[in-house]
Amino acid sequence: MTTTPLTLTPGRRTDGTPVLKVVGEIDMSNADALAASLDALAGRLVVDLTEVEYLDSAALSVLFAHSHRVELVARPLLTPVLTISGLAELTTVHETDA
Amino acid sequence: MVKREDRSSRGTGTTVPEVFAADQEIGRDLAAVDWAATPLGPPEDWPQSLRTAVSILLSSRFSMWLAWGPELTFLCNAAYRRDTLGRKYPWALGRPVREVWPEIWEDVRPRIESVLAGSATWDEALLLFVQRSGFPEESYHTFSYSPLRDDDGRVVGVLCVVSEETDRVIAERRMSTLRDLGSDSRALQTERELVVFAGRQMERNAEDLPFTLTYLFQEDGSARLAATTGIAAGHPAAPEVLAADDTSAPWPARASGRQETALVPLDGPEHEGLPGGAWPEPPTHALVVPLLDRGAAPYGFLVAALNRYRPLDEDYRGFVELVAGHLAAGISRARSYRAQQRRAEELAELDRAKTAFFSNISHEFRTPLTLITGPVEELRTRLADAGPAVRDELDVIRRNGLRMGRLVNDLLDFSQIEAGRLAGRYEPVDLATATADLAGVFRSAIDRAGLALVVDCRPLEAPVYVDRGMWEKVVLNLLSNALKFTFEGTIGVSVRSERTDAVVTVTDTGTGVPAHEVPRLFERFHRVENARARSGEGSGIGLALVRELVGLHGGTITAESVVGEGTRFTIRLPFGTAHLPADAVVPAAPPGEGGGAAEPYLQEALRWLPGGGTVPGPADAPDGSGAAVAPSGAGAGTRAGAGTASEPGGGPVAAAAAKVLVADDNADMREYLTRLLSGAGYEVRGVPDGQAALAAVRAQVPDLVVSDVMMPRLDGLALVTALRADPRTATVPVLLLSARAGQEASVEGLRAGSDDYLVKPFAAVELLARVRATVELARLRNHQARWRTALVDSLQEGFFVCDETGAVVEVNAAFTDILGHGPEGLPYAPVPPWWPDPELDPEARRQVEESFDRLDRTTKGSFTVPLTHRDGRRVWVSAALARVQDPDTGRRVVVGTFRDVTAEHQAVRRDGALAAFGSRLSESGSAAEALADALDELRSLWRARRVTAAVFTDGDRPELTVAGAPVTWDGLPAEERLLLTGLRGRPALTPVADGSGAAVRLEHPDGPLVLRIDLGHRRPFTEEDGLLLSLLAGRLAQALTRARQIDRDRETALALQRAVLGPSRLPEGFAVRYEPAVRPLEVGGDWYDAVPLPDGRIGIVVGDCVGRGLEAAAVMGQLRSACRALLLRNPDPAGVLMALDHFAVDVPGALCTTVFCGVLDDRTGNLTYSSAGHPPGVLAHPDGTTILLEDGRSVPLAVAPGRDRPTGTCTVPARATLLLYTDGLVERRRVPLVHGIAEAARGLRDGRDTNLDVLAGDLLARLAPAGGYDDDVALLLHRLPAPLDVAFSAESGQLATVRRALRSWLGRCDLPPRTVQNVLVAAGEACANAIEHGHRNSPGGAVRLRAEALGSELRLSVEDTGRWKRPDPGSRPHRGRGVTLMRALMHEVTLTPGPAGTTVDMRTRIAP
Repeated sequence: MTTTPLTLTPGRRTDGTPVLKVVGEIDMSNADALAASLDALAGRLVVDLTEVEYLDSAALSVLFAHSHRVELVARPLLTPVLTISGLAELTTVHETDA
Repeated sequence: MVKREDRSSRGTGTTVPEVFAADQEIGRDLAAVDWAATPLGPPEDWPQSLRTAVSILLSSRFSMWLAWGPELTFLCNAAYRRDTLGRKYPWALGRPVREVWPEIWEDVRPRIESVLAGSATWDEALLLFVQRSGFPEESYHTFSYSPLRDDDGRVVGVLCVVSEETDRVIAERRMSTLRDLGSDSRALQTERELVVFAGRQMERNAEDLPFTLTYLFQEDGSARLAATTGIAAGHPAAPEVLAADDTSAPWPARASGRQETALVPLDGPEHEGLPGGAWPEPPTHALVVPLLDRGAAPYGFLVAALNRYRPLDEDYRGFVELVAGHLAAGISRARSYRAQQRRAEELAELDRAKTAFFSNISHEFRTPLTLITGPVEELRTRLADAGPAVRDELDVIRRNGLRMGRLVNDLLDFSQIEAGRLAGRYEPVDLATATADLAGVFRSAIDRAGLALVVDCRPLEAPVYVDRGMWEKVVLNLLSNALKFTFEGTIGVSVRSERTDAVVTVTDTGTGVPAHEVPRLFERFHRVENARARSGEGSGIGLALVRELVGLHGGTITAESVVGEGTRFTIRLPFGTAHLPADAVVPAAPPGEGGGAAEPYLQEALRWLPGGGTVPGPADAPDGSGAAVAPSGAGAGTRAGAGTASEPGGGPVAAAAAKVLVADDNADMREYLTRLLSGAGYEVRGVPDGQAALAAVRAQVPDLVVSDVMMPRLDGLALVTALRADPRTATVPVLLLSARAGQEASVEGLRAGSDDYLVKPFAAVELLARVRATVELARLRNHQARWRTALVDSLQEGFFVCDETGAVVEVNAAFTDILGHGPEGLPYAPVPPWWPDPELDPEARRQVEESFDRLDRTTKGSFTVPLTHRDGRRVWVSAALARVQDPDTGRRVVVGTFRDVTAEHQAVRRDGALAAFGSRLSESGSAAEALADALDELRSLWRARRVTAAVFTDGDRPELTVAGAPVTWDGLPAEERLLLTGLRGRPALTPVADGSGAAVRLEHPDGPLVLRIDLGHRRPFTEEDGLLLSLLAGRLAQALTRARQIDRDRETALALQRAVLGPSRLPEGFAVRYEPAVRPLEVGGDWYDAVPLPDGRIGIVVGDCVGRGLEAAAVMGQLRSACRALLLRNPDPAGVLMALDHFAVDVPGALCTTVFCGVLDDRTGNLTYSSAGHPPGVLAHPDGTTILLEDGRSVPLAVAPGRDRPTGTCTVPARATLLLYTDGLVERRRVPLVHGIAEAARGLRDGRDTNLDVLAGDLLARLAPAGGYDDDVALLLHRLPAPLDVAFSAESGQLATVRRALRSWLGRCDLPPRTVQNVLVAAGEACANAIEHGHRNSPGGAVRLRAEALGSELRLSVEDTGRWKRPDPGSRPHRGRGVTLMRALMHEVTLTPGPAGTTVDMRTRIAP
C-alpha cells in the first residue's frame, strides 16, 4: 500500500508567526498526518499550501477542525475547493501567484 | 424426345420410384416414361426441388400439371387426367407441353413465358376448345400458373393449378337468358310484342342459341314464321309459312303438333349456309320444340339451332325446352289478356244496355215481383210445417223479393222525379206522431244492435203538409242509414218547430264521414269509401232520393258529420201550403197505411245484425202488415254468423277437393255461393268480410278466394292487395264478384291483382266455369312455382332473397351446399349465422359489413367476401346482389346469387403466400434464420396462435423453434410432444390435421423436422390449407438446404475475413464498421487497417477494391497485407502508395483500387496522408468546425505506376473526430458524391459528443439509403485520447496512483488547468467514497474509474461494489462535504445505487 506523498514541515515566518509548510497531495490516505501535525502546533498558525497540488474533502475536514486559529496560503488552483467548502469564510486565505 | 414404344411393360411389375410414390396409379405410368430420354434425365438424378414439386403434384387432389426444364416436360396428377387430359393420358406424360396441347398452345404460351420471367399469372374462366370427347368442346378453365424454382432459386418450370368451370359458366349463361326472358314479359300486352321481346333475349345468347325460328300455328293448320333470331329473313331454312302437311319443309311441323320435341340434323340442302351464331362453324343440329301451355294444343313451335361445341345433354335440352316454355306461357298470357280485354269491353257495353233497360222498363219488374212475393207469402203460410230447410229457402226468396221491390221502387221514383212525373199528394199530417211511429218501427232492430233510440217528437202547433209515402221513405232511409253506420251509442229522432218551419233531425253516434265527403253525401250513386259499416250493400241512391223527396216538399235537408263522433241530418219543412202546387194539396186521409213501406227497410236492416236471420215477430211491426213474416229456424242464421266458417252444404266431398273461401257480407249471397260450390265438389268456407277472409286465408291457404268487392271492414280490392302483399298468400287466386259493372271496374279489379272478375248478376254455370278455370290456372301456376323452385334449386350458384328488413326469406339447394344452412331455418333474420364471428375473425366480419354497407347505397353490387360455413369453416364467395321489385308483391327485395370461390381465393392466397414466403426466405442469412422467418410467415399467414418446429437431430429431444408465445420442449403439453414425435416417421410434405391445427414433416439438413401450426381456437384446417402447407413446407425444405449451403459459405468467408482483416484488436481511439453489400456473405472488397508503427506513430489505411464478394475479398486481402508491410518498412504515405502501385499491377482485379493511407502521431496530432483516388477523410473539431482531408490526392492504384504521389498534412487536435470511409457510405445514385460527403460531415459534427463506437453505428444508420447499402462500406473513426478505464482495489493508498493516471489522461485532453483540477477533485471524492464503502462491505473489492473525452464534454464514472449511505455530516462530516464538492465542481452528477454497488456518473462541459 502506497501512501500519497506528503511532506509536512513546521517553521516560522520572518515575523515569527508559526508556519506549517505542506508539500504534495492530501487525501484520505494521509489526512491523518496533517491532523497530527496541526495538533502538535499550538496557537495561531499559518498553513502554507502553496506546494499542494491536490486537496480533497478529507483534508478540508482536518483544516475545518482548526479553522479558528489557522490562516491559509494557497495557489489559485485550490481556490474553488476552499471556497466551495466554505473554509474560505472561516479563515483567511492568502492567494499566491504561482 | 424419345419415348419407350412398348407401353405394355408398365404395370404391376414396374417398381414405382420414391419420387412417384404419392400416387401409385399415376406413379406407375410416370415410372414407365423413359425419363433418361427427356431433358429431365432419370428420376434418381432429379434435384430436390423437382422431387418436391412432383410429390406435391401427385399428393394433391386438385387438378394440376407441371412442366419442368428446357423443354417444359409435362407431368400431371390424377385429377388433371380425369378432368382435362382425357384420351391424351398416358401419352402426354414426359412430353413437352407444346406437344401435349398444340390446340391451345398459342393461348398458353404467353402465360408460361410470363411465369418463366418470374411472375405468376391468373386466368379466370378462360375459354378453351379441348378435344377430349371426340369433338372440339367449348370448355372454361381457371388457371393459375406459378413459377417453380430449382435448388438455386432459378425459375425452371411452371406449376399450373386448374379448376374446370365449364358447367358453371354455361349454367350462368343459360340462367341469364331464362332470367331475361322472364324479366319484363308480364308488362307485354300483345303477342307481337312478346315474340319480339323473347327474340331479343334469345339473340343475346348466340352461344347456346346460334339461331332460332318461332312458328305459330294458324287456324288452317299451317305454321307462320313469327320471329327469328340469328338468321337472315328469307333464308331457305326460314320459310314464311309451313303448310300443314308439307313433308319437304325444312322443319317437321307435324311433330310439334304431336307435342313432341324433335332433334333435326341440319344436313338437308335447305340447311346450307346456316349462320353459326357465336361460333365460327354452322350448327349441325337443331331442336324443334312445341310451344305448349296448360296442356292445350301447341301454339306453334320453336326451332333452336344447337351449339355444336357442346353435347346435347339433359341440361341443354332442358334449357331449350324452358325457353320454349317461356315463349308459350307469354303467348298464352298475351292471348288471355286480349280475351280479358274483350270481355271487359263487352261487359261495359252490357252494363250500358242494362242501365237503359232498367230505367226504361223497371216498372215492368213490379208485376213479376208481385207474382213472386205474393205466392211466396202464400207458400210460407201453407208450408209452415214443412221443415226448416224449405222455410229457410222461402225466407230467402221473400227477403230478396222485398229488397228487389224496394230497389225497383227507388229506381222508379228517380226516373219519375227526373221525368217530373212524380206527383205528391200532400195532406196535413201530425208530423211528430208520424215520425215517432216510423222511428218505432226501427226500435227492435236498434235494440238488437245494442244501441239506444231516443225519440223526442213534441207535438207541433200546426200540421205539416206531407206525402205520407214519401215521408216514410225519407225517415226510414235516414234511420236505416244511421243503423248501418253506428256500432255503439245512440240514434236520435226529434221533431220541433222553428218559426215557420218544422225541423226534423236524425242523429247518430256512428262512424261519421270526413268533412270533404259531407257535400257529396246527397249525390246520386256516390258512396263514401272505406267507411266502417254494418254492410257494404247499398245502392248509393238512398240519400239522393231523400233529398229529392224533401225538395218536392219545398223543404231542405242538410248534414253535419264528424268522423268518429257521428252524423246529424236536419230536415226543414215549411208549415202551410204556399210552397206546394195547389192541385196536390189534399185533405187528411185516415191513418193506418204507412207501415207497408217499412217492411223492406226493416228486413234489410235486421240482416246486418248478429243473428240477423231471426226476423221480428208480427208484434214488433208497427202495424199488422208484416204478419206474414214468420220466425225462421236458427240454422241458416248462425251459419252465416260473422267469422264462423260454414260447413260445406252437405254431401261428401272428395279428399282432394279444391278449397274455396267465400267472402260476402250478404248472408244470402254467401249461403248461395256456398251451396253452389259445395254442390260442385269444392270444400267451401264462408266469411262475412274481407278482414275475416284475410284471417281465414292466413290460417289455411285455400285454392281460391271468391270475394265480393263491396264489403264492410275490408273490401274486395283491399283484400286482394293485402293477400298479394304477404308472400305466404301472394299466389292465392282471387275471383272478385261485384254488382258494379263496366270496363273501369273490371280493370281496377284486375290491376289490384285479382285473377278473374265476375259481374252480378251471373249465371251459376258461368261462376262454376270461372271457378274451375281459375283453380286450374292456380294449380298450373303452382306447378310453375314448383318449376321455378326446381330451377332455382338446380342452379349451381347459391341463390337467396332478402326481404325489406334484410332477413333472408328464400334459399336454394346450392346455397345450402355452400354455406350449410338450409331452408328449414328460414327466415334468417339479420345478422345471419354465416356472417363471420366478430370475436373470432373481426377482419372478415368487417369485410362483410363494408360490402353490404356499400350495397345499401346502390341497387346492384358484386363483391367477394369471407363467410362461415355451418361447420365453422371459412368459405369465400363471390356474390352478385341486386335490389329489385318483387313482381308478385311489389315489395323491394334483394336477390343475390353467389358462387363458392374458396378454391380460387385460396389459389390467389396460395400464390401470394408462396411469393411472400419465397421472398422472406431469400433474405434469410442462415438455416436458423430461415426457419425462424418461415415460422413467422406461417404464423401470420394462418393467424395462428403458435407455430412450432421440432428438428429431431438425434434421440427424442428435438431442437425447438417457435413463433408465437415462447415455449420449451418440456413446456409443451405431453400430447403435443407425442404428436410431434409421432410425425417423425410420416411421409414428407403430407400435412396431418388435428383438432386444433395441423402438422407436416419435412427434411431439415440436420434431421427430420416436424412443423406444427396451432390454430388455437375452433378454426378448421381445410384441404386447401393442407395443399398450401404442403407447398410451403416444400419451399421451406429447399430454403433450409440452400441456407445450410450459405451457412457453409459464410463460415468459409468469415474464416477468410478473419484471415485477411487480421486481428480485430485495434490501437486505442479507433472505432470501425464493415458492411459488405453481399449479405449474408460478410466479406467484400473494402478494408480498413490501423497499424502501430515502430516509431510510436499509427498507420491508418482505408481501401476499396473494385467488385464485390469473395473475388474482391481475395484482391483486398493481398493489397491490405502489402500495404501493411510497406507501412512498417517506410512510414511515408505517398511512398507506400507508390510502392503499392507497382504491386497492384501484378494483382489481377487490383486495378483502380482506391486507398487512403495516413500516418498519425497521436502525441502531436500531426497527420500526413496521401490518397489514391479515395474520397476525402473528414475531421470534426471539438468546436464543431469540420474540414475535408483533400490534399495529397492522386489517381487510383496501378493506373499510373511510377508517377509521384503527393502528401497532405493536417493536425488532429485532442477530442477531434476523424472519419475515413469507402464510397459505399456516401455514394447514391443520381446524387452528387459531394452531397453524401457533406452529409457525412454533418453527421460527424453532430456526433462529436457521442461515444465513438456509438457514433460509428449512428453514421451508418444516418447515411443508409432507403433500401439498405447496395455497395460494400468500410468506415473508420478515430478520436484521441481514447477513453480511460482504470480498475483498482478499494484501498485509500490507490488514490494517488489513480489520480496520476487520470491527471496524465486529462493532460492529453487539451483542457483548461482549472477544469483539470475540478475533475481531479470530483473524481477523487467519488473514488474516496467508493473506497470507503467498498472497504466496508468487501475489503479490497474493485473500483472502476472510466473517463471519456468528447468534443465538448468530459464524462466520468466511478463504480464500486458497496452501498452508499445518505450523507450524514454528523458522523463523517467530510464525506457529505465530498458529495457537495462533486456537485459543485461538475455540471452533472448522478448517483445510481444498484444491488451490486453504486455508480457515480459525472459530466462537465469543456469551455472552448
